[in-house]
Amino acid sequence: MDKIDLFKLHKADYIAPKKPQLCQVDNGHYLAINGMGGPGEESFNDAVTALYAVAYTVKMTRKKMALGDYVICKLEARYWSEEGKCLSQADKSQWHWQLMIRTPVNVELNDIEQAAKVLTEKGKTQSVNNVNLIEHEFSHCIQMLHIGPYEEESRTIEEMAAFSKEHRLVATGEHCEIYISDPRRIPAERLKTILRMPVSN
Amino acid sequence: MRKKHQFSFCYQHYAYSSQQWCWQFIISIGYKCEAICFMLLMDTLAVQKKIMRKTTQQSYIARMVNVVNYIQKNLDSDLTLEDLAEQANFSRYHFHRIFSGMLGESVKELVRRLRLERAAIQLKTSSESILTISLAAGYESDMAFSRAFKARAGVLPSKFRKSEQTRFPCLSLSSVRYVTNEHISSFEPFIDKEFNMNVMIKQVDDILVACVGHQGPYQECGHAWDTLCGALAPEGLLGGDARMIGVSYDDPDVVAPELLRYEACISVEQEFSTTDEISFKTIAGGCYAVATHIGTYENLHETYRKLFGQWLSHSDYDSADKPCFEVYLNDPESTEPEDLITDIYLPLKEQAHG
Repeated sequence: MDKIDLFKLHKADYIAPKKPQLCQVDNGHYLAINGMGGPGEESFNDAVTALYAVAYTVKMTRKKMALGDYVICKLEARYWSEEGKCLSQADKSQWHWQLMIRTPVNVELNDIEQAAKVLTEKGKTQSVNNVNLIEHEFSHCIQMLHIGPYEEESRTIEEMAAFSKEHRLVATGEHCEIYISDPRRIPAERLKTILRMPVSN
Repeated sequence: MRKKHQFSFCYQHYAYSSQQWCWQFIISIGYKCEAICFMLLMDTLAVQKKIMRKTTQQSYIARMVNVVNYIQKNLDSDLTLEDLAEQANFSRYHFHRIFSGMLGESVKELVRRLRLERAAIQLKTSSESILTISLAAGYESDMAFSRAFKARAGVLPSKFRKSEQTRFPCLSLSSVRYVTNEHISSFEPFIDKEFNMNVMIKQVDDILVACVGHQGPYQECGHAWDTLCGALAPEGLLGGDARMIGVSYDDPDVVAPELLRYEACISVEQEFSTTDEISFKTIAGGCYAVATHIGTYENLHETYRKLFGQWLSHSDYDSADKPCFEVYLNDPESTEPEDLITDIYLPLKEQAHG
């Protein structure tokens, strides 16, 4: 059986030009975990660890059971703040986030619960129990590639905001990122991140 | 040769003991020592450290010169790695990697080149037939010899023999070339221009791992990983601080791909009952030099070569007779090959104290 690579299969969802571009991201299944606080803070890192632990446990267990193999997708994150306040104005500690890893549709809730159970038994972080299976449709988005430190995303976001104005689109207030590079090792100035801005007309 | 070697050893020993003397001095004057005095001492230490580095490198070169001279003298015999390592007191274990790292070519390549260089001299100075010279250079026919010769010299042996000006080029990365009637006394080790390796010395604890062995080309070790991950995932042992470790027992420059031994390992907290395919072992802790390789696994050997040939010979350390291991820091399935990160752990002998 061939290995499923959703990132390649849904190439159009992850096009990341240097200039803003419109795209349509259809419904997809994701492993997800929610939380609040600044990215890079303890709760955030704990959630990343939990999400990956569940992702790899589900993948390898299913593979072992000959239920098909797939590539673990890149980490995606949605950020928003309460009352639709602009994120850049809200304090980072007030940021809500949902971390997501896109997953093939045949992965079931049952797989996730089982993975969380064995991970908890082995004393891994309790947060594995907060990992969920969700369906999400980003729908209309403006998307582009940001190269550089996460802190400098505002310049890219401004570019996208200008693009949305030009095309008479309204941002829904949610900000999404898809992490292409590994921030543990890749120097900040070379970090690649796809920025996604869901819009409605 | 032996005498020279002993001398360099003594000198090295002297450098160690004098450094120790310095430390004892610092300790003896203890807290009375004024800041400025301490700074001065630190300066002396730094200078001595530099001298020591230089000495270690000289010693590595001196030892390697013995090997190269031995090769020169025995160009016609089978040169085994055991033999060569013995010539210079290198441990057999990592000898070849130190060799190719310092000389920029493998033992095989060096032998082939020296034989060709010797053949070139014979073409110019003797009246032996090209066939005889070919056989002496280790080729089965004059055709094969001519081809190899032309590839290096740019002209066929017959033409080379007749021409007055053409010289056989020394196309080596280090400065070693065939010499007649004399010894090689030293050489400039091959230094990679892009030598920008950050090496950390780490004290590593014993690591308990679950592992699956693999023999064959490294590219085919995926099966071992599947077996291992398949057994560990349902147990909840992936994720968190579980580390993916590869232990390779052989130098791919020397050992044929189908004979390469490799173990896929994942760190675990304790043993557990599982299938026969999985075994448990402890990766011995101790002193390790750690270098990071960024990029495709296919180029890992380049970083190994730099670490062994260049870093090690410039350092104050000797390699220990234990296998190296690699820690994989990202997922090769979902990471672009050029972004793969691997830490290479090279085992070191504990520094002798006193």
